[in-house]
Amino acid sequence: MELAWYALLGAFFATYLVLGGYDYGVGLLLARRTDPARRRAALNAVGPFFLGNEVWLVAAVGLLFGAFPLLEGELLAGLYPAVVGALAGVILVTVGVQLRSRPAGDRARATWDRVVVVGSLLAALGWGAVLAGMLQGVPLHADGHVAGVSHLFTPFVAAAGLAVVALVAAHGATFLALRLPAADAEPTARTARRLVPVALAAVGTAAVLGLLSDRVRAAVQRPAVGVLLLGLLVAALLAARVALARRRPGLAFAATAIALAVPVALVGATLWPYALVSTVDAGASLTVADAAASGPTLRLLGWLTVPLLPALLGFQAMCWWVFRGRTDGRAPVYW
Amino acid sequence: MDTLLLARLQFATTTSIHFLFVVVTLGLVTLLVGLQTAWVLTDKPAYERLTRFWGQLYVINYVLGIATGIVMEFQFGLNWSGLSRYVGNVFGAPLAIETLVAFFLESTFLGMWIFGWHRLRRGVHLALLYGVAITAYASAFWIMVANSWLQNPVGYEVRDGIAHLTDFTALLTNPSLGMALGHVIAAALLVGGMLMAAVSAGHLLRRTPDFALHRTALRIGLVTAALSITMVQGFGFAQFGPVGEVQPTKFGGGPGADALVAEWTARFGLGDYTPPVLASVGLGFMILIGFSLGTLWLLLPLLWRDWIIRLRFPLWLLLFALPLPFVAAILGWIAREVGRQPWVAYGLLPTDQAVSGVGPGVMLASLIGFTLLLGTLAVTNWVLMARHAARGAADPALGRRPEHPPADPRPEPAFA
Repeated sequence: MELAWYALLGAFFATYLVLGGYDYGVGLLLARRTDPARRRAALNAVGPFFLGNEVWLVAAVGLLFGAFPLLEGELLAGLYPAVVGALAGVILVTVGVQLRSRPAGDRARATWDRVVVVGSLLAALGWGAVLAGMLQGVPLHADGHVAGVSHLFTPFVAAAGLAVVALVAAHGATFLALRLPAADAEPTARTARRLVPVALAAVGTAAVLGLLSDRVRAAVQRPAVGVLLLGLLVAALLAARVALARRRPGLAFAATAIALAVPVALVGATLWPYALVSTVDAGASLTVADAAASGPTLRLLGWLTVPLLPALLGFQAMCWWVFRGRTDGRAPVYW
Repeated sequence: MDTLLLARLQFATTTSIHFLFVVVTLGLVTLLVGLQTAWVLTDKPAYERLTRFWGQLYVINYVLGIATGIVMEFQFGLNWSGLSRYVGNVFGAPLAIETLVAFFLESTFLGMWIFGWHRLRRGVHLALLYGVAITAYASAFWIMVANSWLQNPVGYEVRDGIAHLTDFTALLTNPSLGMALGHVIAAALLVGGMLMAAVSAGHLLRRTPDFALHRTALRIGLVTAALSITMVQGFGFAQFGPVGEVQPTKFGGGPGADALVAEWTARFGLGDYTPPVLASVGLGFMILIGFSLGTLWLLLPLLWRDWIIRLRFPLWLLLFALPLPFVAAILGWIAREVGRQPWVAYGLLPTDQAVSGVGPGVMLASLIGFTLLLGTLAVTNWVLMARHAARGAADPALGRRPEHPPADPRPEPAFA
């Protein structure tokens, strides 16, 4: 029962990283696109999907609160600076993307674009740091209290944050290669091809630092699964590189999407049966079963939300279907 | 400064900013449903232009509603981890249902609505707006279920110091829910109507060319506002009975309050169990504003032969009255929320047990950071809204035909 809910939570957060990831990747790439028209084209390529992408985060946190209330409090409060950073980033991107085209002047729009770039950077760094923070454990005491915030500032957390930044940048460029008009997609595909090795290097650095970290080694319960999933991540990135070289942006996008979903699965599976490992008191570590809401709450959520999941996915799929294909100048421009 | 006070300040700030935007969202989306339905049924270009103009203001306003809403959601875990630890089993459920069943769909529909002009069939496009409106109301319902549970915890039992859900229907029939939900929804309609009336009044005062368009919007806004102020008053006063019964300490002392304080002192130890006076002072001002806005009814007869526009001063009145419903909305929430102090969940979980264990330095940084961030974004958002409202309905970006050059001021023809 708890495993199913934990998997559902992971699925929602991973989907958020995949879908929100290309929002942030496109946001980061605005820094390199100086021409206002090209910037606007990139943002409107994300256009109709943007709100539907960001909302996966809201749903994931709602699920976290409803099904794992204990984990919600201790995870968010325990990783305070990382969560606040990610949150500030998410807000800046959400507001920046939607408001940047409301002023008519190029200068005001350029300022909003900088807001989007900074927000994308913060969001990607923050979520990377949250995942890494879970993997290296937090100083959780038996009363559920996490002491201090300095435990978060380690080389591994920094490297993991940067790795997620590199991953979303490559993912965003691949998305644009798939979605922009064919003429504009070609240079973006080249950018994506250059970004994939950067992402590989960043993931490699984070992996090495993680293996060298005592705290990560102590917290991880299933190292074999971790290595396996890390291999899958690397394989996905290599596949993306090959697909981009062969001008198959659809396949490349699927591969970078897998690369962004894998870290969530990696953290969840290698820590299992724990959700949050304590670095100070082994007895205080929070297992998934302990963190879950009690039976009646889970049953209620099951009856009320699970039958509606097909509708949620159906309406998201409707959005993807209606706005499928490359942007062609006939679609409304709003962002 | 201790962590508790800082966390409470942050909650109050974020909630207040959030509510200023959601109340407009809920009110405007209802009016938009009416406008777009009228457009689809009558095929009159005027209704299409009204939908686009008010739709754009609605969408700009929605941006900050989401941004502050995300902060609200995270704040429970960041600053109030005790809340999820002790009562998360019960309180978390309506919040989870709200995000999954209501807000998730609302955002998905809205994205398609914004980008669906000229791309989807008109019926489908209208259905999307209905979807946005229905899920917005569902959101309001579930959030009020969650809030009412904090006001009056029901349907649970405490085992090992942690609340477990026993009866979910008790949450839905909570005496502190029904009238409060009606009150909030009526207040949202009032704000939406007042906003529409005031913006149109501004255009009519400036004598912008779109006379007929703004005249229509003025009439819709004023009638909506007048009807909803009566509902606001009705649901508001209807709350005193049930709320006074389940929360005797909320509206000052009395024998019931004394008995409850004595019981709490026995169970939780000595302490100050009376809410700060701030709450009831605010309540007094809110009621005063409510009565003043009741005079909106006096403006209705002036709609006859457009006397309201010819006399001009009623338009000025509407324009200057615009901040009043917003102030009243905030004061109302302060009365409801500060009135349950010192409890997070009334009579069950005191605020000092619910606050997270983070240090005051971190909490202060978070308070200042988020207040500055959300405050700046809120002000920027209002400036943008005011500019777009002032620019008029000549050619809003929302629903603009893709091949249409942006500078062309021609009104849009209806799209079949």
